[in-house]
Amino acid sequence: MNTSDEKIRFDAIVVGAGLAGAAAAMVMARAGLNVALIERGQKAGGKNYFGGAIYTHAIGEVLPDYMDRKPPFERPVTEAGFWMLSKDGGLTKMTVQGGKLGAEPADAYMASRAIFDVWWAEQAQKEGALLIPKTTVLDFIRDSAGQVIGVKTDRAQGDVYAPVVIVCEGVNNLLTQKLGLIDHDLEPAHIALAFKQVIALPMDTINARFGLPDEKHGLAASVLGDVSLGLPGMGFVYTNNTSVSVGLGMMLDAVVEYRLKPYEVLQRYLRHPAIAPLIKGGQLMEYGAHLIPEGGYRDMPKLFTGGAMVAGDAASMVNALHWEGTNMAIVAGKLAAETAIEAHKRGDFSAQTLSQYEARLKDRFILKDMKQYRNFSRFLETHPEFMDAYPSFINDALGQFFSAYGMPKKTLFKNILGSLTSRRQLFKAVGDMLSMGRAVMGW
Amino acid sequence: MFHALVAVKQVPDTTNIRIDPETGNLVREGVPAIMNPYDAHALASAVEWKRKLGGKVTVVSMGPLSFTVTIREAVELGADVGYLVTDRKFAGADTLATSYVLAQVIQMIHEKEPIDVLFFGKQAIDGDTAQVGPGVAVRLDLPIITYAVKIRDIDLAKRQIIVERKTERWTEVVEAPLPALVTCEKEIAEVPFAPLPDLIRSLRYEPEVLTVDNTGIFDAESIGVRGSPTVVFKMGTPPLPEPGEKINSREVGVEAAVAAAFAKAEAAGILTSVLGGVK
Amino acid sequence: MSARRFWVFIEQEEGKAHPVSWELLGVASRLASEVKEEADAAGDTVHVECILLGNQVEHIAHEAIKYGAERVYLVDEPELEHYRNCPYYKCIVGVVRKYEPEVFLIGATTLGRDLAGAVATSLRTGLTADCTGLEMGEVKGSKQRLLLATRPAFGGNIMATILCRQSRPQMSSVRPRVFPMPPYNPEAVGEIVREEVPLDEKDTEACILEFIRDQAESVDIEYADVIVSGGRGLGTPEGFKLIEELAHELGGVVGASRPCVDAGWISYAHQVGQSGRTVRPKLYIAAGISGALQHKVGMQNSDFIIAINSDPNAPIFDVADVGIVGDLFQVIPAMIKEIKARKEALA
Ligand SMILES: Cc1cc2nc3c(=O)[nH]c(=O)nc-3n(C[C@H](O)[C@H](O)[C@H](O)COP(=O)(O)OP(=O)(O)OC[C@H]3O[C@@H](n4cnc5c(N)ncnc54)[C@H](O)[C@@H]3O)c2cc1C
Ligand SMILES: Cc1cc2nc3c(=O)[nH]c(=O)nc-3n(C[C@H](O)[C@H](O)[C@H](O)COP(=O)(O)OP(=O)(O)OC[C@H]3O[C@@H](n4cnc5c(N)ncnc54)[C@H](O)[C@@H]3O)c2cc1C
Ligand SMILES: Nc1ncnc2c1ncn2[C@@H]1O[C@H](COP(=O)(O)O)[C@@H](O)[C@H]1O
Repeated sequence: MNTSDEKIRFDAIVVGAGLAGAAAAMVMARAGLNVALIERGQKAGGKNYFGGAIYTHAIGEVLPDYMDRKPPFERPVTEAGFWMLSKDGGLTKMTVQGGKLGAEPADAYMASRAIFDVWWAEQAQKEGALLIPKTTVLDFIRDSAGQVIGVKTDRAQGDVYAPVVIVCEGVNNLLTQKLGLIDHDLEPAHIALAFKQVIALPMDTINARFGLPDEKHGLAASVLGDVSLGLPGMGFVYTNNTSVSVGLGMMLDAVVEYRLKPYEVLQRYLRHPAIAPLIKGGQLMEYGAHLIPEGGYRDMPKLFTGGAMVAGDAASMVNALHWEGTNMAIVAGKLAAETAIEAHKRGDFSAQTLSQYEARLKDRFILKDMKQYRNFSRFLETHPEFMDAYPSFINDALGQFFSAYGMPKKTLFKNILGSLTSRRQLFKAVGDMLSMGRAVMGW
Repeated sequence: MFHALVAVKQVPDTTNIRIDPETGNLVREGVPAIMNPYDAHALASAVEWKRKLGGKVTVVSMGPLSFTVTIREAVELGADVGYLVTDRKFAGADTLATSYVLAQVIQMIHEKEPIDVLFFGKQAIDGDTAQVGPGVAVRLDLPIITYAVKIRDIDLAKRQIIVERKTERWTEVVEAPLPALVTCEKEIAEVPFAPLPDLIRSLRYEPEVLTVDNTGIFDAESIGVRGSPTVVFKMGTPPLPEPGEKINSREVGVEAAVAAAFAKAEAAGILTSVLGGVK
Repeated sequence: MSARRFWVFIEQEEGKAHPVSWELLGVASRLASEVKEEADAAGDTVHVECILLGNQVEHIAHEAIKYGAERVYLVDEPELEHYRNCPYYKCIVGVVRKYEPEVFLIGATTLGRDLAGAVATSLRTGLTADCTGLEMGEVKGSKQRLLLATRPAFGGNIMATILCRQSRPQMSSVRPRVFPMPPYNPEAVGEIVREEVPLDEKDTEACILEFIRDQAESVDIEYADVIVSGGRGLGTPEGFKLIEELAHELGGVVGASRPCVDAGWISYAHQVGQSGRTVRPKLYIAAGISGALQHKVGMQNSDFIIAINSDPNAPIFDVADVGIVGDLFQVIPAMIKEIKARKEALA
C-alpha cells in the first residue's frame, strides 16, 4: 500500500502523549473528531518522569468513571505535609492525615508515570484517538496566511494535516518556540532539575517505617532544610505500594553554577540520618532526572495562535510549591480540546476562535493559581533561607523545647531565640515571613 | 513472485534494560516488550528481497494476544500479512512444541501460497536457545542455513538461494535449493525507520488469528505442556561462593598489596605455572 | 537388565576436535558414576560413549578414548568432510535410534547449536540449551535418576533446573569452558564401532561453495591461560592500553565487560560473560569491573581470580580469591613492575 500521493489527514493533531496530550485527545475523540496523538517515545509517556502524585479531581473531570477503568494507581495520599531536616540529623514533621485526606477515592494517588501514562493514553485510544508512537514532530505546516494546518515529523512521507494542533510537548518547548508563542528557551533560573530514585521495599517494611497502617495509606511529603546544600531546592518522599520515591528538585542555574553532580547531591540527601533508615536495605529500581518549568506565570507563553494551542508543562503550567503540574496539564488539555471542538463546529480555526482557550483557563484554577503564585520562584531565588536556615531553626527550636527538662524555661526561650538570630537577624526573619506570604498568597 | 515467511517472537528487552550510569544498577521499571532483535533483522532482509523481486512477506508469531503489537511492528517494517497463532492450549510450550505449532501453520500457509524462503532469527534473546529454527526445518524437511550474515542471491527461476553464514572459524558460502530456512544474524540487513504511512497502516492492522479450533491442524498431544518433553524442576538463585581475602591498598600501600596478592597466587600454585609459560 | 548409555557428540572440523568435546566427556563420566550404584542394584550396565562424524577422522576416536570414552561410534564418510546440518543430523539420529542412549551432550558452539536443535526435534525429545550445571538426581515418580540440567533464565538473574521425564535421550548443550578438562590417560583402551547410515540425495543438496577465512586477528579468549579484563572503571578506551600491557607481561589476553564492548572501546570477541564468552583461565584479573551476575557467570570458574576495584563492596570481590581495594591506575602499574621483577628473578 502506498499513500505517498495521498495526504495524511486528521481532524486534530495532538503532539505529545503525556498527561495533557492524552487528555486532549480523549476529549476530542469522544466528541467524534478523528484525532492523531503523536508521541516521540516508544510508548505513551515512556520517558516521562515525576515525583509523584496525581490528582483525581483532574482525572475525573476528563474521565468521570475513571475508578471503574482500573487506573494503575499506587497508594492514595492519606498523609501529606512538610518534613524539615536539620544539619545535625534532626527531623521535624508537619503533616496532616485523616480528615479530608481519608476520602475515597482519594484526592491524590501516587503513580508511576511509565505505567500510568500508558493507561491514560489507552483511554484516549478507547475513545478512538490514534496513538502514533516513535514519531517526533519537528515543525509545523502553514498555509499562505501563516495559519497552522499540520505538522512535519521525522519520518519519510511524514507530513500530517489537520486544521488544529494542540501542542503538549512538555518542558522542552521547542515547538512552542517554533510557533512563535515564546521567543526564548526557559532560563536555567526558572527551571528545576528534579532527580529521584525509586527504591523497592516490602510493603510491610514501608508501612512500619512510615507509620502507615496498611497499603491503603500513603505519605506524600515535601522535604525542606538540609536537602539541597542550602541552595534553592526542595526534596520529596512518596510511598508507593512496594517502593519509595525519594528525590529532590534544584534550580538548574545553581546546579550549573556550582557544578553540582545531581547524583551526589541526591546521595548526600539520601544519607541524611533521618532519611537513610527509611530506605535502608531497599533495592534501587530506577534513577532518573527530569526538568520542571518553575518560572510560573511570568514564563508562560502566549497560549494560542491560528490553528494551534499549547497546554501543560510546555506552557509552564506548574505550581512549584504544591508539586502541581499533572492536574494543570490534564485540565488545560481538556480545555484546549473543548476549544478545538468548538472551532470544528464553527469551521473556524483562527486565532480569534482559539482565544477562547485562554478565556476558559482564566475561569479555572489554572490561570488563577498561576497568577497568585507568580512571585514564588523569584521569592525562593532571593530567599534561600527558606530552604535552609528556617527548617534548621525549627528543628533546633523544637529539639530544645522538648529536651529542656529541668532547665529554666526562660533560658530555653532565650536559647531558641539565639538559635534563630544566629541564623538570621530577627527583623529580617519577620521580613521573610512577609515576603513568603506575598509570594504564596499573591499579596 | 517471491513469498517470504518470517517467524517473529516478542521478548522482554533484556539487552536494553537501562543501566543507571552512576550506580551500574539495573533499572527494571517499565522494561519494554520488543520484537526479538534478530527477528527484526531477519524481517528487514525479507522485505529487502521482496522489494527486489516483487512479492509478499508473511509473518507468523506464536504467543498471547499481546503479541499483536509485535505483528503490527512487523507490518510497520514492511510485512504484508501477519498471523498470530494463539490459544490457551499452547501454554507451557518448550522449543519442541513451539516448532511443532509453527511448522503446522507454515505448512498450512505454504499449501495456500507456496513459500520460497523462511526467515528466522538466530535465536530469541529471552531464552537464547536457537532451537526453534532448526526444529521447524527438520519438521518440514527443509534445508537450513543458520547464522546467515548475508543473502547473496535468491534465484526464483533456478529455485536456489546462496547465503553467507558465519561460524567461529570462517564464513561459509552455502547454496541450497528452495524452499529453504535461514536463521539470521543482525548483519543480514539494517532495520529501517519506516515511512509514516506504513506506521499508520500498522497501527490499525489486525492480525489473522489462528487457534486450535479455527484451524483444526493441531494434534492435542503435540502442543502446550503435553507436547513439551522438558519441564522446569526448580528455580533459584545460585549460591554465593566464599569470598576470598580483601587487601586494601590504601591501608597497606599499593606495592605491598600487589605483592601480597601475587604471593597468594603463588601459594595456590598459579603464578609459577603462568610465568613458567612466559618467556 | 539394560545398558544405560551416556553419550557425547565429538565436534571436529578439519580433523581437529573441539576441546568442548573432552570437557563433556568428563561430565558424562561423572554422570555415569552418579548412577553406578543404582544401576548395579538393578543389574544394569553403565557406559560412557561418543559419536564422531567426519571424513578420515579415526585418529580423533583414539583421542576420545584417552579422555575417557569406552566406545566411539564412528561414521566416516567423504560426504561428512565438512559439517552440514542435514547429513549430520540424519546420521546422528540413525545411530541414536540404534543404541538409545539415555543422555546425550553436545557443545553449545555455533556448530553444536545448529545440530542439537535438529537432532532433538527429529528425535522428538527435550533439549536444554547452555547448561551450567548437570547432575543425575532423584526425582519423585521416576525409578531411575534423571538428568537435572541447570541453566540461567530471565536475563541470568535466576537459575532454572530443567528435566525431561519421558522422552530419550535427555539432551543438553553446554558452552565451552563451563566444565573442566578431564584427565588424559594415554594408556586407556576402548572400542571403535564403525556405523553406516544411508543418506538420501536430498540430504546433501545444500552445499558449501567456498570458505572465506577472516583476515582480522581473531582473539581466542576461551582457551587462554591468563586473562586480564577491564571494565567501565577504566573510564576511557585508552584504559585498555594498561590492561594490554599487563596481559602481555603475563602472556595472556585481554577480556572486557559488556559496557566496554557496547561503548566500542574494544571488540565483542573480548567480552566475557553471559552474552559473551565463558572462560576458565588459570589466572583471571578483573580491573574496574563491578561483578554483575552476567559477568560472573562467564568467569567464576577460573582457577584463580584477582579483582581490583576501588569500591570495597563491589560484588566482584565475592568470587575473587584475592581482592585489591584500590585505584586500578595505581595497582596495575605496580603489578607490571612486580611481574617484570619476578620474571627477571626466574631467568
Ligand atoms: C520529579 C518531578 C516530580 C513531580 N511531582 C509532581 C507531583 O507530585 N504532582 C504533580 O501534579 N506534578 C508533578 N510534577 C510535574 C508533572 O510531572 C508535569 O507537570 C506533567 O507531567 C506535565 O504534563 P505534560 O503532559 O504537559 O508533559 P509531559 O508529561 O512531559 O509530556 C510531554 C510528552 O510529549 C512528548 N513529546 C515532546 N516533544 C515531542 C515532539 N516534538 N514530538 C512528539 N512527542 C513529543 C514527550 O515524549 C512526552 O511524552 C513533577 C515533575 C517532576 C519532574
Ligand atoms: C541479558 C544481559 C546480559 C549481559 N551480559 C553481560 C556479559 O556477557 N558480560 C558483562 O560483562 N556484562 C553483561 N551484562 C551487563 C552486566 O549486567 C553489567 O552491567 C556489566 O557487567 C557491568 O560492567 P562493569 O563492571 O564494567 O561496569 P560497572 O558496573 O559500571 O562497574 C565499574 C566498576 O569499576 C570500579 N572502578 C571505577 N573506577 C575505578 C578505578 N579507578 N580503579 C578501580 N576500580 C574502579 C567501580 O567501583 C565499579 O565497581 C549483561 C546484562 C544483561 C541484562
Ligand atoms: N513463539 C514464537 N513465534 C514465532 N517465532 C518464534 C517463536 N519462538 C521462536 N521463534 C523463532 O525462532 C527463532 C529462534 O528462537 P529460540 O529457539 O527460542 O532461540 C526466533 O528468532 C524466531 O524467529
